[in-house]
Amino acid sequence: MTLPTSLNATLPDRPVTILIAALGGEGGGVLTDWIVSAAHQCGFPVQSTSIPGVAQRTGATTYYIEILPVQVSELGGKRPLLALTPGIGDIDVVLASELMEAGRTVANGFVTPDRTLMIASLSRFYVMNEKIALGDGRYDQGRLIQALQTHAQRTLLFDMEALAKDSGAMINAVMLGAIAGSGKLPIPAEALEAAIKADGKAVANNLRGFRTGFDTAQRDTVETTGREAKKHAPPALDLAGMEREIESWPESAREILTEGVRRLAKYQDLGYARFYLDRLTPIRAAERDGGNARLLAETARHLAVRMSYEDVIRVAEAKIAPARMRRIAQELRAKPDEPFLVTEFLKPGVEEMCDLLPPSLAKRVLAYAEKRGWRGTLYFGMEVTTTSLNGYLRFWALAKLRRWRRGTSRYHNEQAQIESWLGLINEAARLSPALAAEVAECARLIKGYGDTHKRGTDNYAAIEARLIRPALAGRIPVEAGIDAVASARTAALVDPEGESLARCLADIERQVALPIAAE
Amino acid sequence: MERSFKKEVQELRLGDGDTFHGEGILAVTKALLQSGVSYVGGYQGAPVSHLLDVLVDAEDMMADLGVHLETCTNEASAAAMLGASINYPLRGAVTWKSIVGTNVAADALSNLSSPGVVGGAMIILGEDYGEGASVIQERSYAYAMKSSMWLLDPRPDLASIVHCVEKGFELSEASHAPVMLELRIRACHVTGSFQTKNNRAGAFSGLNQIEGPPRFQYGRLAHPPLTFVQEKLKVEERLPAARAFIKEHKLNEVLPGDLSDIGIVVMGGLTTSVLRALSRLGLADIYGETRVPVLVLNVVYPLVPEELTAFCAGKSAVLVVEEGNPDYIEQALNVELRRADLQTKVRGKGALPMAGEYTSDVLINGIAAFLSDVRPRGLDADAIAQHAAGLLAHRPAAAKAIGELPPRPPTFCTGCPERPVFAAIKLMQRELGPTHISADIGCHSFATFAPFSLGNSILGYGMSLASAAAVGPNMGRRTISVMGDGGFWHNGLITGVASNLFNKGDGVLIVMQNGYTSATGLQFMPSSKTSRGGGAASGMDVESTLRSFGVKWMRKVRTYSVAKMRDTLKEAMRTAEKGLKVIIADGECQLARQRRVRAEDAVKLEAGERVVRTRFGVDDEICTGDHSCIRLSGCPSLTVKPSTDPLRTDPIATVIESCVGCGLCGEVAHAAVLCPSFYRAEIIRNATWFDRVMNRIRRTVIGWLAPREATV
Repeated sequence: MTLPTSLNATLPDRPVTILIAALGGEGGGVLTDWIVSAAHQCGFPVQSTSIPGVAQRTGATTYYIEILPVQVSELGGKRPLLALTPGIGDIDVVLASELMEAGRTVANGFVTPDRTLMIASLSRFYVMNEKIALGDGRYDQGRLIQALQTHAQRTLLFDMEALAKDSGAMINAVMLGAIAGSGKLPIPAEALEAAIKADGKAVANNLRGFRTGFDTAQRDTVETTGREAKKHAPPALDLAGMEREIESWPESAREILTEGVRRLAKYQDLGYARFYLDRLTPIRAAERDGGNARLLAETARHLAVRMSYEDVIRVAEAKIAPARMRRIAQELRAKPDEPFLVTEFLKPGVEEMCDLLPPSLAKRVLAYAEKRGWRGTLYFGMEVTTTSLNGYLRFWALAKLRRWRRGTSRYHNEQAQIESWLGLINEAARLSPALAAEVAECARLIKGYGDTHKRGTDNYAAIEARLIRPALAGRIPVEAGIDAVASARTAALVDPEGESLARCLADIERQVALPIAAE
Repeated sequence: MERSFKKEVQELRLGDGDTFHGEGILAVTKALLQSGVSYVGGYQGAPVSHLLDVLVDAEDMMADLGVHLETCTNEASAAAMLGASINYPLRGAVTWKSIVGTNVAADALSNLSSPGVVGGAMIILGEDYGEGASVIQERSYAYAMKSSMWLLDPRPDLASIVHCVEKGFELSEASHAPVMLELRIRACHVTGSFQTKNNRAGAFSGLNQIEGPPRFQYGRLAHPPLTFVQEKLKVEERLPAARAFIKEHKLNEVLPGDLSDIGIVVMGGLTTSVLRALSRLGLADIYGETRVPVLVLNVVYPLVPEELTAFCAGKSAVLVVEEGNPDYIEQALNVELRRADLQTKVRGKGALPMAGEYTSDVLINGIAAFLSDVRPRGLDADAIAQHAAGLLAHRPAAAKAIGELPPRPPTFCTGCPERPVFAAIKLMQRELGPTHISADIGCHSFATFAPFSLGNSILGYGMSLASAAAVGPNMGRRTISVMGDGGFWHNGLITGVASNLFNKGDGVLIVMQNGYTSATGLQFMPSSKTSRGGGAASGMDVESTLRSFGVKWMRKVRTYSVAKMRDTLKEAMRTAEKGLKVIIADGECQLARQRRVRAEDAVKLEAGERVVRTRFGVDDEICTGDHSCIRLSGCPSLTVKPSTDPLRTDPIATVIESCVGCGLCGEVAHAAVLCPSFYRAEIIRNATWFDRVMNRIRRTVIGWLAPREATV
């Protein structure tokens, strides 16, 4: 490698380069200005650029800073040419406010093991494609973290958003503290703090945010993201017998079973919880014989969810739960005697009304509604203020209907569908426990209210009719059936219009039709 | 305006020998004031939106210098403003986003450059090209060539930019031609410093007004038969004069280097990128010393043939670094070398890609490819190529490790009044089926992204209605055109509405009335509620304007009323009434509103007055994680979080703290019959005694009825 010999030997041969990855509206511009003004105060040549544009509207954006760690006065009149664009493989520090945006800098080649310090927040601000999935569209967080750790020289990963919230600062102040604490900048922390003070906006909060970012970065330990906090149902005395019984069930399913009986006892009564365990007994036997550890646990999980279907009674109970009001008060940061109003948006249709009637009556009303064209068109939109007496009493009365639940048409329909589904699982288990587990998993499609519930039920019905039943009847080979059910289920969660599912089912039918035709 | 420059504009007062620190755009403003401009104007658009914002914030200071500021309604009106320099020794500058703004301005520019100018006329082009750009990728260069305007492309540091602005006015006057100065996105926002001079007032200005018009001079008109003479003047007098000026004032620079048998010819704006690439290849340092000689073209049009041939003489090959296409400079260089009978090889496109931004990796690869191709004396080109490959080798593995990341495009802000309109369109289409949607430029174009994915064409700012003119008649179904009030005044009223009415067209037009040109940073426009100075508005109004144009079917709907908007759309789509159907979707830009409301609320809170703050929420226990609500809303504050239910795996919806309580969640839950998970929570700060008493009574009674909680 020929290096220019005439060139300066004593001055730094490259600037310190900092790439900031953020979302529009997070204050990345202000953060950049803080760093630039602190570098300037230290007498270092510094330059920043950005590409704000419309990215300011929560889109991904970057800011780029170069600092030459030498006093302007020592340059002997030379002027460093600082670059406007970040160079691939030429970045000393990446500072990212969000985990996926940190990942984007890696994908773009800006992070290299020979020089890059990756300082990133573990917090996620989900992108639209992750949010609009019908099931779980979230990007694999573990993969992002691992890629950061593999490709950077060093990483400082912690939840800056949480720290910002705790300190009452914007995330940019925590980020500034983090880069100061990393020790990678040629600028002392005091100069950066001075930049916040000179800015004069929300100084106390920003300094607190700076401090917490600084301290966390100095600890130099990787913190993991918060575990998915699950709210477990509390144990109840009258369930002790059933819970002891669960101790004899396979370990892989025990936690779910316990949760299941607790939920169903609360949802309806002890008998309903017992009914749950009874329904699972044949599955337990099938699992023992077939050796598929997923089957029982997954069926138990879905069965508990299906048996505690979201009817008006359950919604009413949830709306007036004292714990809920406490949670909302907390969200609002309401002081103990500060008044607040909570208003619900309900729009029951003819079907929801009929759900509460006895089956025979419901049938007649629905038939009439069908004739009048009311189904799917007639809704009763209401805004109910739960914190008012009037509103509260309405939910209170609805919640009281719990003891009549077994007499409602919805109960009858749900139980019939559950029985049919359990029947399919049991039947499939005789062929292959793996197939049975796939059938069980299809319950995931049925969720929500109104149209969403109907769409899920229809999708489930399509998979049942076109894949599950043919597989049970031997018209689709078992192994192919297992794959087919799994892929159809995934396809059903791709788009609400059902185009992917339709395509998937057609493809599968074409494939399985061929060998049969050849036989 | 979204961003205030009230503090920064103080830098504009600096005088002789002071040092300015700040952003590129502010430096340009300072350079204009140092150049003695008499008038400035323009139309906002990234990356020069802030230039206009700075001018507005500096209006008082400019008034002291007698400078007239005009925030024009579009680029054509800004370009026409330069007409003041045709007859009078007035220096003036206008600014807009290019290429789109230059397209709109083109007619005026042709008619300006044909008679030419006596006062310096300058156009600051925000060259919206490459990463962060929001428009079609084309070059402004063609306009310079076809209209004989000169195009400056200064090195992207403040001193060079300021120097080019100042020299640009002199060049314009010396050659009687308008001058364009292009600044790329990053150059507009680059920070740096330069030595300032005193501001000066123009020879004539608001302070020292011109006596009256000159004697009638037919030569100042772009009108035949003079246009034939002017065409000759452009090439016979103005072009040579410009070249002489460029040469004499050394606007272009040569950076010497010891590898004298090769060289690089670069557009001024890419100079630092090229020098950094050379430095990373070990062929330069970061202080501007380079081994490869470089010709820096701070003026990219016109080129000066003698400068080109002088640089190339004795070289076996040169590389032209010219971003975008067509490769005008490379072609011109080939012609000049041919004319001078020089055998220097010209490389450019080929070593470098024909299209796309010249980022650092592109330049590193391009320069290495050039060196491998021409193999200069005294350099191991293979070693350089190997080094270049090494610099970029890690990228494929890194990209693979991360995987295919979903994009994160910009989107409607939290509480945006435009989002509900697209929720309503989606719901309307569920019932009536899809129709052609003609999209436009503005925040509402974010509807083309998920979750709405609505829009079949975008033809330019204010063009949506016009671009649907031939679709409806050929489809047998009404089309929907979406236009913002910004686009309406920019172009849409005449190009779209007038043309539709004149042709007895049909179709539906939605005008988003949010009161500002919001996408460019909340600038005021004709129907804003106040003027740019905060005083009384102009009084123009979208609705009365449309009435006076003769629109018969018109509805004004509050945007957040999703069900009403859906029903109005259905009515517009199905009514037997012929003619244009206009729905004014009324809702103030939430960014502007929040800024106002927050300040007001803070004052009220401080004063102990009653303030109600609203936000929405989702009940964890009731949400089942289907996300239909998100698919109909797309609000940044409505997102997902892990389910708290131990028996469920799919994430559930949640409303985060940034919620402004616009009400869309509730409206959508109702209009689309979603689920009962949403609730509106209103907290009353500084509650009155009545609030408190009522609250206490309610809580007590509810306390009696409340279910007993499980105790552990």
